Amino acid sequence: MIQFENATRNYGKKIAVSGLNLTIPSGELFALLGPNGAGKTTTIKMLVGLLRPSHGVVRVCGHDLVTETRSAHSRLGYVPDEPYLYDKLTGNEFLRFIAGMYRIPQHLIQSHIDREISRFELHEFADDLAENYSLGMRQRLIFAAAFLHDPDVLVLDEPMVGLDPRSVRIVKDLLKKKTAEGLTVFMSTHTLAMAEEMADRMGIMIQGKIHFLGTVSELREQVDIETTNLEDLYLKITSIPTTDQINSPDNK
Amino acid sequence: MTTKKPATEMQSQLLEVSQESALTQKLRRTIAWNLVRSTIHKSRFRFGLVLILSVFFWTSVFCLFYESFVFIDSMHAEVMSLLFNTFFSALMVMMIFSTGILMYGGLYRSEESKFLLTCPLRAEAIYTHKFIEALWFSSWGFILLGSPMLIAYGMVRDAPWSFFAMLLPFMVAFVFIPASLGSILCMLVVAGLPRLRLHTFSVFFAAATFTVIWLAWSTFGSTQSQALTPAWFEETLSRLAMTEQVFLPSWWLSSGLLDAALRNESRELTRQSTFEALKFLGLIIANAMLLSLMASGVARWTYRKGYSNLEAEIPCNRHRKIFWLDELLAHGGSIHGNPIRLLLVKDLQVFRRDVTQWSQFVIFFGLLALYFYNLQSFDYSNAYASLIGHLNLAVVGLILSTFTTRFVFPSISLEGRRFWILGLLPIHRDQIIWSKFLFSFGGGLIPCLGLIALSDSMLGLEQKTICVHLACCVALCGGLSGIAVGMGACMPDFREASPAKIAAGFGGTVSLVLSAMFIIFVVITVGLTSHLNLLQNAGERLPDYPILWLIGGSGGVAASLVIITASGLLATFAPIFLGIRAFRHLEP
Repeated sequence: MIQFENATRNYGKKIAVSGLNLTIPSGELFALLGPNGAGKTTTIKMLVGLLRPSHGVVRVCGHDLVTETRSAHSRLGYVPDEPYLYDKLTGNEFLRFIAGMYRIPQHLIQSHIDREISRFELHEFADDLAENYSLGMRQRLIFAAAFLHDPDVLVLDEPMVGLDPRSVRIVKDLLKKKTAEGLTVFMSTHTLAMAEEMADRMGIMIQGKIHFLGTVSELREQVDIETTNLEDLYLKITSIPTTDQINSPDNK
Repeated sequence: MTTKKPATEMQSQLLEVSQESALTQKLRRTIAWNLVRSTIHKSRFRFGLVLILSVFFWTSVFCLFYESFVFIDSMHAEVMSLLFNTFFSALMVMMIFSTGILMYGGLYRSEESKFLLTCPLRAEAIYTHKFIEALWFSSWGFILLGSPMLIAYGMVRDAPWSFFAMLLPFMVAFVFIPASLGSILCMLVVAGLPRLRLHTFSVFFAAATFTVIWLAWSTFGSTQSQALTPAWFEETLSRLAMTEQVFLPSWWLSSGLLDAALRNESRELTRQSTFEALKFLGLIIANAMLLSLMASGVARWTYRKGYSNLEAEIPCNRHRKIFWLDELLAHGGSIHGNPIRLLLVKDLQVFRRDVTQWSQFVIFFGLLALYFYNLQSFDYSNAYASLIGHLNLAVVGLILSTFTTRFVFPSISLEGRRFWILGLLPIHRDQIIWSKFLFSFGGGLIPCLGLIALSDSMLGLEQKTICVHLACCVALCGGLSGIAVGMGACMPDFREASPAKIAAGFGGTVSLVLSAMFIIFVVITVGLTSHLNLLQNAGERLPDYPILWLIGGSGGVAASLVIITASGLLATFAPIFLGIRAFRHLEP
């Protein structure tokens, strides 16, 4: 459902993403991890069509993001790290606009909107202007908008920022349910626990290249370290020594 | 495994062009309606004030143009075509650049366009949506200024009803031409030269500015004849003839309007003129449509590519060394530096790095300086020169008040988001207020004193009058800074991140109104006494009111200076102390 074929993106002479080859099939939740500046944001920007690859191709449901942009976008839902809402639209009006954009049939629009309002518990503020929303409310509305047209692919950039524990639980349950139904999820996050709990597969990106691709158990097998903690595994693979390692007798 | 749907099925999921257009239209309508409703609900005062001031402005402009057209109609009827051509061609050039800059911000730098680009919309649909927004912003001034002018012209010329009916279509169709040209220019520059865009825009902007200055200079500044004489008019008009090129849309507009306004004795001739006007209207509409279509095509081919190119640009991470002036201001004379001086340096650094702030400052004060410098081209009587000097003082004050309201008033509110930094520092909150005041006062005083000195010396005013004006300028800078900082501290808005929106709120409006009242009070007080004193000294006959003789005497001038000093101190310190009191108890 998502295909990166030798996707490369450079900023001037600096290569942000280098020859990325990655296929994420239908029904998989993929987590992209990596330190700051590793190329995660560039990868997501290529996936949602904001950046064109310098070389290679990015496809969503078989549609090239450069030559078949609209077809690819029609199958995509996107939750950015800093969601954009029209301040002078109410939540309801925003959802109606999104429904129109994805050409949901007129007779189904209200039922789709009601479904998302109920799912993300937006009742209390759905008729208020978005300028009065807190970060959590905005994030919930963006999730509702992303799920409104039943996308085949969902792209999430730090999705849990600003959400309260109850909303986090709602989102997690929904992602599990939808991936079981065939939704492909591409998630970029720094929250390792979230990736460990949710991801079918994960990729660790360092300096524009995927250094590890696989499941958490595969990562444990690959990294020569006596721990089961993902944080330690991650730090080992990204070569950032922990305080304990720095203070260990071996280092003195 | 492939999940690609058949092309026919895919097409049915995507919006048609007309559906996209209807969707974005509905979006704009809903936003506009919600905006009006919430403004009326939340800021009735501001809404009412804007409405009243707009009506006042429109009526004033109408009266001014009406009187001017009566004068021109009786004296120099043949000048009309030239004036219209000059006016519309200047507007056209300005609109090309203003729309280009607005489109750059709207298409490539706004959060909305970033959001829309991830939606299944055509590039040209996003372009059209942002174009309409930019068109509105760049042309409302033209409509507000052009409509009273043209209605006044029609009334003076006793134009047929068809002239008034054609005004709106003429104006609306015309603005599409420069706006489309500006948009095409913007998109081509971004798509073709992304890495050089700043340089390209800078070169274009500098070239346009120099062209305008050169044209103004060559037209008005370097005439051989003495100003405002018939020979001077002849010479100036011959220089303006370049705006009468038949391929210019501004010429089509002015010719169409002039034809439409013709009322001949014979009904047949009037009908013929109206038909000619309709032909020009058709020409403008056809060109507007063609350029809109071309702009849409350019958007289709270049917008997404250009956006991607810009996104891929390396941000300018220039290492910024400590500037010697900052070091001197912060630590000059002491090792640790004074908190107020350190805060001042912080504001100065932010100001220097915010192009929006200093560029507006430079443009407005630069244009004023150019205008003041050109005042020497004219010969004035003493009384007339004194009057212009007072008006220039008011203009400098009004420009300064827009800056203090737009940039200084929101500065306290903007500290709200990072208040924890200032709040945790070992400084007194009062020092934050005083640093803002000193920054505004110092920053405004130097250019304003320079401008007033330039204006008065170009007008050839007496030393005494210049000194009075400079004293007024100090009072104005102090008062306007005090009002902006004090009101900003009394009525902060910590939830808003945009300084423009903070300035446009209730507090900003109150600050602007108070500033305007203060300027009017100062200028009228000093203007009345100095002007009457000048007339008295020149032996001019004043109306037989003893009060006028009293005000115009030397004692009157001295009294006005005392009043201005007192009012300046009051306007400076009263709002500051109110602001300090409110700020001490503030919990952001």
